[in-house]
Amino acid sequence: MVQEAIISLLQIVIFPGFLFLILAAFFYEWVDRKFVARLQNRYGPLHTGPRGLLQPFADFLKLLSKEDIIPYAADKLLFSAVPIFLLSLPLTALFCIPIINSTALISFEGDLILVIFITTIIVISVFIGAWSSTNRFSTVGGMRACLQMLGYEIPMTIAMAGPAIVAKTLSISKIVQWQTTGLWFILTQPLGFIIVTICFLAELQKIPFDIPKAETEVVAGWLTEFSGKKLALLRLAEDLELVLAGSIMASLYLGGPAGFSFMPPFVWFIIKLTVCILILSNLRALFARFRIDQLMRGVWKYLTPLALLQIILVELIPW
Amino acid sequence: MAGELGFSIPSIFVLSILLGVILYIIGSIIAPRVKKTAGKLAPYACGEDLPAEKLQVNAEEFFIYATYFLIFDVVAFMLATSLGKPGFFPILFIAIILVSSLVLFPVRVRRVEKDGFDKVG
Repeated sequence: MVQEAIISLLQIVIFPGFLFLILAAFFYEWVDRKFVARLQNRYGPLHTGPRGLLQPFADFLKLLSKEDIIPYAADKLLFSAVPIFLLSLPLTALFCIPIINSTALISFEGDLILVIFITTIIVISVFIGAWSSTNRFSTVGGMRACLQMLGYEIPMTIAMAGPAIVAKTLSISKIVQWQTTGLWFILTQPLGFIIVTICFLAELQKIPFDIPKAETEVVAGWLTEFSGKKLALLRLAEDLELVLAGSIMASLYLGGPAGFSFMPPFVWFIIKLTVCILILSNLRALFARFRIDQLMRGVWKYLTPLALLQIILVELIPW
Repeated sequence: MAGELGFSIPSIFVLSILLGVILYIIGSIIAPRVKKTAGKLAPYACGEDLPAEKLQVNAEEFFIYATYFLIFDVVAFMLATSLGKPGFFPILFIAIILVSSLVLFPVRVRRVEKDGFDKVG
């Protein structure tokens, strides 16, 4: 009994818990930066660690040790609380994703809804942080983040309901378990996968949809006033969001840790997660930024009807 | 697995917040004290002299999207929880919602007429 308790405590704290998730966040920030740099014919991170592997961690430490300026007019409590809050939300959601085997550390019926809810709350916290910093650029950036959410939230939720309807469960772990026996959902619902990818690009504020922090328009968007340790936490939170988005895609559509038995499930999960993150991050070498009205119009005119079509197809042909 | 120890989403959330607070405290220990000057504490404004104030952002032209969002959020939630039902009923539900959201179309047209050009898209 004591032994089991220690094992599950280690799972929470070290693997696949907090320590692993944070290391994964740093690693995938490196993957993100390095690959896009190579695509753009730059070197990317180079000097810290082998091939610059430790660069994100070095950046994090450097930002932690910088002086932390709070603007005199800012709402100090909210302004300080938002980075911590934004860090803890994706961390919490990642515990619902099965990583080492087909059951997540914490799974219950309905954790898919919880994860979708957390992605929404992240945007709301972004707005609160932006508004409490009383900067024009921040406020406009936070407002844009919220407006963007009005667009992509609906097709994302509807498309994610597709796997849930086929597997007849709202638990991510059970959807993954369903895929170990049946086909992966990317084969039966390719449309849903594409829609979720596009919506996650908007959710993560990656380049075709990086409207909330467009440097050429609103300085750094909602991040403008954050400095020092707050910026460090916010950047870590963004990396965790990237990992969260990639692992949701991998679990819902690519079968999560399921795979052929010559490699352990965990390795399969990492391979799929890397593929998803490369899709999410490398698209930014390809596109220019959209305007916010273009995003809203495109999402409501094309993505939402396509997501509904996907659901209708799913209901008619229940694989 | 972890559920046997009494770990659930709220306790994980509390632990995550604790982690954030610990990182925050480490940051406060290793960071130098801020030397407060008026220039440092002023909000960033690209060198302009803008007052710091909580802004009211006007997003009126996106109001129609908020209305649709409200309707379709309900649709999405209903679809996500329509698991055990046979396929016909969710499709019927989608059809009813789509037809009833046609009621919103005149709202959009009136806005376009008022402004003289298509602001909504």
